[in-house]
Amino acid sequence: MTDRIVVLEISAIEAVHLSGMVRQFLELLDETSVEGAAPPDPAVARLLPDAYDDDADASAEFRRLTGSDLLDRRRHDAGVVLATLSTGGPELDIVTAEEADLTRAFVLTLDGEESGAWMRVLAAIRLVLASRLGIETEDDHDEEDPRFGIYEWLGFRLDGLVQAVDASH
Amino acid sequence: MGLIMALTHLDARGDLDTGRLGDDVWQTVVWNDPVNLMSYVAHVFREYFGFDAETASRLMLAVHHEGHAVVSRGPREQMELHTQAMHDYGLWATVRNGASS
Repeated sequence: MTDRIVVLEISAIEAVHLSGMVRQFLELLDETSVEGAAPPDPAVARLLPDAYDDDADASAEFRRLTGSDLLDRRRHDAGVVLATLSTGGPELDIVTAEEADLTRAFVLTLDGEESGAWMRVLAAIRLVLASRLGIETEDDHDEEDPRFGIYEWLGFRLDGLVQAVDASH
Repeated sequence: MGLIMALTHLDARGDLDTGRLGDDVWQTVVWNDPVNLMSYVAHVFREYFGFDAETASRLMLAVHHEGHAVVSRGPREQMELHTQAMHDYGLWATVRNGASS
């Protein structure tokens, strides 16, 4: 795993936005308490889906036994993403930063474990955003809503990372 | 007499078969969703199950076009572990009893 190094180049402004999203994702996880029933927030429920589509009791038991660990692993992944982002450069204040600083690219070098965490976090944030945006088919899109731009950017970054990791095999 | 013995024998063999099948009758099913990228789903299949690229791609396409695909068969506990792992990746997966579906 650790020898599969991938290199990711992102701009400072992307890194700032992504950090913000990962922190919000962590807040969402921290607000979640796992019980047997599906979480009331549909975005969180999507992260903890029913394990049995025809047996509510078995699904509840499964979620009760495994849900907290799953959220812990998600928190760990999110922490890995924030840690790797913070090694890429100084924290930027996007309100006061100069444009040259915002568009400056920096290079992240991810080992196998880190790239795995990145992919899972990008995929999970997309699931949360899709739930908030009411995306039900692959064609759902609203040009006017900037959140769709963020959703697609996350997909673009995830796809690039998947290609890079697959190529490193 | 001969008939009864033959039936008993058949029953015993039937029980044995059921017991053996019971171990691998469970399935891990991955369902299509409009969010997860095709490249990511195929990557997960390769990485987690160790499928070659062709098998991973075929299963991913089955999920995409047919709405779901059975990605593993075996004992229930193992299928639950696979399902949990798929949830870790953000894929929508369930455990299913293949004998009753």
